[in-house]
Amino acid sequence: MQGMGTEVVRFEHVSKQYPGVLANNDVTLSIIKGEVFALVGENGAGKSTLMNLLYGLGQPTMGDIFIGGEKISAQHNPERAMQMGVSMVHQHFKLVPSFTVAQNILLGHEPKRGRVFLGTEKSNEIVRELSKAYGLYVNPTDTVGELSVGLQQRVEILKALRTGADVLILDEPTAVLTPQETDELFAVIRRIVAEKNMTVILITHKLPEVMHVSDRVGVMRRGKLEQVLITADTSEREIASLMVGRDVIFDDLRTDQPAGEERLRIEGLCASSDRNLPALRGVDITVHAGEIVGVCGVEGNGQTELAECIMGMRPQTGGAVLLSGKDISNTDPRAIRSLGMSYIPEDRVSMGVDTKASVQENLLLGKQRTKAFSFFGIHQRRGQIKEYANELTKRYDIRTSGTDELVQSLSGGNMQKVVIAREFSFDAPVLLISQPTRGVDIGAIEFIHEHIIEKRNEGCAILLISADLDELLRLGDRLVTIFEGKITGRFNAGEIDKQEIGFYMTGGKQDTKEGERL
Amino acid sequence: MSSIFNVLLLQNTLRTATPVVLAALGCLLTQHVNITNIGIDGMILIGAFFAVLGSYLCGSWVMGLVFAIVMGALLGLLYYVFVIKFGSDEFIIGVALNIFAGGLTVFLLRTIFQVKGSFSGPGIVPLPTIDIPLIEDIPILGTLLSGNTLLVYLSWILVPLIWAFIYKTPTGLHLRAAGEYPDALTASGKSPDKMKCLASVLCGILSCLAGAHLSLGYLTMFSENMSAARGYVAFACVIFGRGNPPKVFFAALLFGFISALGLRMQKYMPSDITSMAPYVVTIVMMVVVVLWERRKKQRGQGA
Amino acid sequence: MSNSLSQSIRALFRLKPTQKVNRDYLVSLFTAVALAFAVGAVIMLACGYNPIECYGALFSGSLGKPRALGNTLAKTATLFLTGLAMSVAAKAGVFNVGGEGQLYMGAMAAAVVGAQVKGAPAWVVVVLALLAAMLAGGLYALLPGLLKVKLKVDEVITTIMLNSVAIFFCSYLANGPLKTAERGIATGTDSIMKAAAFTPLIKLSNLNTGIFYAAAMALFVWYLMSRSSIGFEMKLTGDNDRFAKYGGIHTGKLMLWSMVLSGAICGMVGMLEIFGLHRRFITTVSNEFYFDGMLVAMIMRYNPFGVILMSFFFAILNIGSKSMELTAGISSELILIVQSIIIFFMAAEGGIRKMLSERALNKRARAELAGKEVGVK
Repeated sequence: MQGMGTEVVRFEHVSKQYPGVLANNDVTLSIIKGEVFALVGENGAGKSTLMNLLYGLGQPTMGDIFIGGEKISAQHNPERAMQMGVSMVHQHFKLVPSFTVAQNILLGHEPKRGRVFLGTEKSNEIVRELSKAYGLYVNPTDTVGELSVGLQQRVEILKALRTGADVLILDEPTAVLTPQETDELFAVIRRIVAEKNMTVILITHKLPEVMHVSDRVGVMRRGKLEQVLITADTSEREIASLMVGRDVIFDDLRTDQPAGEERLRIEGLCASSDRNLPALRGVDITVHAGEIVGVCGVEGNGQTELAECIMGMRPQTGGAVLLSGKDISNTDPRAIRSLGMSYIPEDRVSMGVDTKASVQENLLLGKQRTKAFSFFGIHQRRGQIKEYANELTKRYDIRTSGTDELVQSLSGGNMQKVVIAREFSFDAPVLLISQPTRGVDIGAIEFIHEHIIEKRNEGCAILLISADLDELLRLGDRLVTIFEGKITGRFNAGEIDKQEIGFYMTGGKQDTKEGERL
Repeated sequence: MSSIFNVLLLQNTLRTATPVVLAALGCLLTQHVNITNIGIDGMILIGAFFAVLGSYLCGSWVMGLVFAIVMGALLGLLYYVFVIKFGSDEFIIGVALNIFAGGLTVFLLRTIFQVKGSFSGPGIVPLPTIDIPLIEDIPILGTLLSGNTLLVYLSWILVPLIWAFIYKTPTGLHLRAAGEYPDALTASGKSPDKMKCLASVLCGILSCLAGAHLSLGYLTMFSENMSAARGYVAFACVIFGRGNPPKVFFAALLFGFISALGLRMQKYMPSDITSMAPYVVTIVMMVVVVLWERRKKQRGQGA
Repeated sequence: MSNSLSQSIRALFRLKPTQKVNRDYLVSLFTAVALAFAVGAVIMLACGYNPIECYGALFSGSLGKPRALGNTLAKTATLFLTGLAMSVAAKAGVFNVGGEGQLYMGAMAAAVVGAQVKGAPAWVVVVLALLAAMLAGGLYALLPGLLKVKLKVDEVITTIMLNSVAIFFCSYLANGPLKTAERGIATGTDSIMKAAAFTPLIKLSNLNTGIFYAAAMALFVWYLMSRSSIGFEMKLTGDNDRFAKYGGIHTGKLMLWSMVLSGAICGMVGMLEIFGLHRRFITTVSNEFYFDGMLVAMIMRYNPFGVILMSFFFAILNIGSKSMELTAGISSELILIVQSIIIFFMAAEGGIRKMLSERALNKRARAELAGKEVGVK
């Protein structure tokens, strides 16, 4: 591959300093025309920052970037980048939900009717043609907010291709896709590279994808480009160890242990989403003491609502939740907690912690009126609280400058450790865990997984919801798949492979037993 | 009863509603770029003062309007710089702006005109009324639609204009994108801040014109605190109308109707009681919106 | 639109300052004050007044004589209590902008009790009036509180509207059914029991025994907010109500109670004004006192000690401005302008600081990296 094509992008000694963080440190890299280049690294390794610089979202503090041999100017911005043939699809889609597909794709470049007004018909026509040219079908008049994630991504890609880009940057494109949608995306990537002679830069941390689709791979760690490898000549293990700087071994953590009595029973649970559409349509799950039941599914198929309903944060519209035999349907979190359930929510920042409060205050929540920490439930025993917070930070390896530090200044991993320390210390017999390792670095993932297994081995009943299939396969004793608010399959761990689960997760297959129930 | 419910009541409704319509149209623009501007009340007050000042100094109502527009643009710019550029709290800046307006107008009233409380006089040239030929001859409609001042007509014309601007022009589209998802606009190479600046400046101008209507159209005087919480009422109208210009217009008309009715009821009950009416109605309006949405939601669930 | 609208309403609730009061913040504060004074001086010069003379009059008129100092201290107490009222609600995430109305309702209730309860010992009348005022203020705050908690109606607008309603309502009572029969009183209720009125602490000044009640309330609120489990729960509710609810806190109840407490404090301020100064309800019992206190609280980020100091400073400006007008002849409203400039700058403080530090950091980083490169070569 190398030496075959011409160079389209070159980074020369590029560094980017953010207040307090050196996000890119002296990166020199060439990208060749017509290749799929994967840029891998842990969270915060600087891969997105580097590509943002190329796309004009921020200027390098030092060094130069060349696009097609032309040096980018100090006033580089996305518009100029697009003019120079570089487009980017972000991890979080930059789409306006209430606008139509055509309005989104042509945002900032709307054709006009007359001299003043929007040319809606013209827009739709342009989008139809664009869609045909690249073989990416979309309906220009659909409202973006009502499309599936896969389709929204398609809109994003079309938006990036609108100006006839030569270089397409995809930032973690598969994070929210099903295995099938992922395969489709890769087919699109291959097609545009082959037919249009485009260059694709893929930012990711999923190594199987790297092996599957890329020609070359660049590994970043702590802002530095560690090495550039030819994909065909390397292995997942080699890339992984370059990423983390040491060998990582993912072991199966489970030990065989018979499940105990039934602790959590969900029967025919129904609920609505924030947009008032049915999100759960009769979900049945049981969890026994000493087992982990994993809920697999593509995000947005009712997992959020499921967790919130169980914890009393969202009204149920039907069915029942039984906690150790007691009906907790439509009660409030306080009552549910007192009956013995703890919850690690999926959205850390908006629900798991109070970012404006200290580590100590975050650890205290839920125990502030207990005898151990207050007189008569009113006067705070500050000494005891402090001691307790210190003890927990030590036990859960929360890296802080002190328990008075505000949670907002902690890293994602440490923040999650605060949540886990607090929730696990209630010693509740039932644990509800949602996306425990999202946005957490590899070191902390290991730590969190070990603690979850430890809880299971102590006899906790754990319901684990995750979008990360590998995590579920690693931790779960039993797995259920959820699709459009229904359970579509039930499996024992080790009896099923990833692709098979993928079919169940996307409604492609349904358990016959489940079929009968419906 | 006929002494209360007659054509004059409707005429008064239109006139009382005008400043609220103008201010609400401004507020609506900032609302669409996701800025909660509660400094509108202060902007109205400053607009009212400078309109009188311009009219008095230059002996022309045109200059009164020019003064108000210039002050409005400056205030909008000031608001934008503090809230967007410096990232200050919209709420604090809004309240500070209201206090600043109260202080500034009274200070200038006393320093320039040497009076306390209010200033009126033959030197202030009010806005002329404009009769529309043909329409003025139609019996009831003529009284209502004709013989109003320029700003009243402007407020009517602006309702469809601003609607078309927001929903039917590229700039309007960018404005809404800047409010709903600014990153999308940035990614398209457009600046959300520019849109916010535009909305803020337009809001300032419209609010100051609302003030000019108060001091040169509705009355021909300036008095301390003459905005009388109309800025907040405008804000409530925007929420009631969910940011849609025609709906906001009708919310403002409702406010005008209640105010006008209250004024007429003063014959029958203490003025303090009738003066409460618009504020109570505003609160009721806010509650109605919520109950409304809740019902709609429940119906959606049933389906 | 509905989406962005609800977002912007939500934006109103993230008013809780994230930073604490620290040294940097105090430096900014002094800079802002100096800048505002400078702007004031420019205006004075432009209007043909001598700034030194004006500012001299300002300070001597507020601190120069025992009587002036007394007035300033009394004003400090009012500002501080209203600031506290704002803080209590804001801490739990509710924005009570309706303190002015609650103050009026409290003042009216106190005046009625003070005048109508006859034959009881003076201290009983004081206690009853205090309770009545707090009840009236609290109940008047309960309404917007309930609307917010039960129906999610934006409390900023409802409380502002309720201000006007309360002022007109009290004015109606004072001019109508409760108008005093005493001669020579144009508007106002019957005067309160003479023995129950507070006695001045400094002759002829506004400072009176009411300040002890204010101090007691301040202590109580400080304890509640920073030493009790309830204050802890309030803080978490205000910071992130989803988090608090998830952690088992009854957030709705807490918001409601903090709103009621906020209203009760405002009602108490009204009572202190009536029993300390006016001795009957008059329609000018408050002149936007609550808004001043509210801003003081916001500028000082709800830090109780900061609020005391800032209240004192604003009281100096407020009291001094009147004697400045008398002595130097310049309109006292100039001080309102100065005050609002301070507020503008303090609100922008974080943003300006961030801008400056980012610029400095970038410069330094560039210099450092450049140095490194030269070293390598």
